[in-house]
Amino acid sequence: MNRREALKNVAFLMGSAISVTSMGVLFESFTLPEIEKNHVSFSAKDEELLAEFADIIIPTTASSAGAKAAGLGAFIPMMIRDCYPAKMQEIFALGMKDMHAKCLKNFNKDFLSMSIEERQKIMTDLKNETIANDKAPSFFLIARDLTILGYFSSEIGCTQAREYLPVPGRYDGSAEYKPGQKAWATN
Amino acid sequence: MNINTDLKKQNTYDAIVVGSGISGGWAAKELTEKGLRVLMLERGMNIEHVKDYESAMKDPWEFQHAGKLTEEQKATHPVQTRDYPYNEATEKWWVNDIECPYTEDKRFDWYRGFHVGGKSLMWGRQSYRFSDHNFEDNAKDGHGNDWPIRYKDISPWYDYAEKFAGISGQNENWPLLPDGHFLPPMDMNCVEKSVKERIEKHYNKSRIMTIGRTANLTVPHNGRGSCQYRNLCSRGCPFGAYFSTQSATLPAAMATKRLTVRPYSIVNHIIYDKDTKKAKGVMVIDAETNETMEFYAKIVFVNGSTLGSTFILLNSTSDAHPNGMGNASGQLGHNLMDHHFRCGAEGTAEGFEDKYTYGRRANGIYIPRYQNVGNDKRDYLRGFGYQGGASRGLWHKEVAELAFGGDFKDSMSLPADSWSMGLGGFGEMLPYYENKVYIDHNKKDKWGQPVLAIDCEYKENEAKMREDMMNDAAEMLEASGIKNVKTYDNDCYPGMAIHEMGTARMGNDPKNSVLNKWNQMHEVSNVFVTDGSCMPSIACQNPSLTFMALTARACDYAVKELKKGNI
Repeated sequence: MNRREALKNVAFLMGSAISVTSMGVLFESFTLPEIEKNHVSFSAKDEELLAEFADIIIPTTASSAGAKAAGLGAFIPMMIRDCYPAKMQEIFALGMKDMHAKCLKNFNKDFLSMSIEERQKIMTDLKNETIANDKAPSFFLIARDLTILGYFSSEIGCTQAREYLPVPGRYDGSAEYKPGQKAWATN
Repeated sequence: MNINTDLKKQNTYDAIVVGSGISGGWAAKELTEKGLRVLMLERGMNIEHVKDYESAMKDPWEFQHAGKLTEEQKATHPVQTRDYPYNEATEKWWVNDIECPYTEDKRFDWYRGFHVGGKSLMWGRQSYRFSDHNFEDNAKDGHGNDWPIRYKDISPWYDYAEKFAGISGQNENWPLLPDGHFLPPMDMNCVEKSVKERIEKHYNKSRIMTIGRTANLTVPHNGRGSCQYRNLCSRGCPFGAYFSTQSATLPAAMATKRLTVRPYSIVNHIIYDKDTKKAKGVMVIDAETNETMEFYAKIVFVNGSTLGSTFILLNSTSDAHPNGMGNASGQLGHNLMDHHFRCGAEGTAEGFEDKYTYGRRANGIYIPRYQNVGNDKRDYLRGFGYQGGASRGLWHKEVAELAFGGDFKDSMSLPADSWSMGLGGFGEMLPYYENKVYIDHNKKDKWGQPVLAIDCEYKENEAKMREDMMNDAAEMLEASGIKNVKTYDNDCYPGMAIHEMGTARMGNDPKNSVLNKWNQMHEVSNVFVTDGSCMPSIACQNPSLTFMALTARACDYAVKELKKGNI
């Protein structure tokens, strides 16, 4: 069975709790036996870049603030250091450097100096590369997954982009759905 | 001299209960309510109801890692991480595997929680009676030994357990799933109602679908609050709305003022008195100080979970019981079983796009066993039931397409376009003598004790059944109008269902069983074992309700015998 099938099935077994990340299973199955926390480190500038990167994935829209406001700039590197094995941390860090080199080559400036449109363009390239590589772990894939995970777990994501209902108090399994009604933040 | 006498007196109770989970909590409640002074020993930490459920009221953004595990947690919990129950919100319930290793002759996923309440805090709460089909299957097909009881023996105790615990559900008059004393059932959602109607029509009621019978209160019950539909049971319920030791049996036992609970008390072995031919008490290792001590009682209830209890019995050797206490039959440690699951089918339901859910129901639907009864004949023995449900999730194809940007965010803010519906089989595993546990003296746990070795596997009967678990599910979903039906088998290893049972089985014949029909040890009359280890077969239903009923029944018998002077 391939991993995406496995993910879908695992998600199904857990009821409706489908993981929003396409890599939930992947990064858990990559665990190495030794403790490899904090294999790579990130600078303040890296965090700034990741915040901007995440904000292209999930930008501010009419309904809600985006990933940068939700704190993804700090969340992503924290997750990489705490929750990923060294091998994956390296893939992430190298991919980040690689993107930097591509920015310089294609646009003659770094990611933070690029316009939104230029950022979208380079990220579309990274996305296409990831698809061409059959979604093998890459900087783009991991950063995007963590953006989705972190954003929709954040207070902004839960309470603005979606609707958060901590104590429903009752269950209605045939409630009316109005077109455009937001999804519940938790399952 | 005086000091020793005092200490012995101080450490002497009428009864000792080893373990504080579902069955241990019941034993403590029943024995104290019948007037006994009881010491309940728990190997792990104390957990105070509500106060110690730290994650229960947390919002998603209050978890540092959005629910994910760190590399450190994965390193210290290599077994607990094999499946989903151990996560950031529930991490305190699951053991550090490095501290309490075991030997896997074959892969066996052993999920454990060391704390007051045991797995009653983390259980799935599905509560089903066994039927006479289940009590008779061993005798009929010759696998395992005959159950020493039938449904009529346990039925009043199911009533008793349900009335106290509070089980919500629907009576169905289905022979393989006896009715009970239920609180109002939870609702099926719109898709489930449609599927139920179509399945029952298509199969002319030779198969039925009912709402899960669950130990979640749908109305206030015995001073406990009703379910708030948060679906966060696994963190501990601040409303006391599901049955646990903390929410139900412990307060009842404490109210008698005859219960003493001692956490951090690892029972290493039961002390055998060769003169009286009875258990004298237990030897305990303090989990915090490593100090050893003894406690004494007239009766000992062993409720340390199937493999925990079996370890204690195997480790309780003496001249009279060289191979473990009560093991003259040689059956102690053998016949280990677990349900096999993680296979079935799923698909999408169309036509419900104008419907959504309000509230999160920590329950699903149930299709009770219908195989190998009446005209339904299969090429394997026994059968399976289904658990499942329908939901409108959060999946959007853009997730897999690696989309990003404002439109992507907008679609991710909406529920999935369609509902999905799935059925997952839960199959019975036969008792096989060669599926066993034994003590491995080459390895030691944190407290210097030898460890358990587990040698267990599913066999051909289970493999054949899995085919049907997938195919029947797909067939029923298709008959219900579900689209894009796909079968799956995610592989299953013993232990994963956390329904391990059978290693100290009951039976009428002391030559081939460890316990009699009262869960009393054939050879040591004041030792009772009422957790999952006592089960001669496991049916395909979730077993905890049966542990509750058997425990209450055994306590009733034990106290009567004690009063008659027979123990």
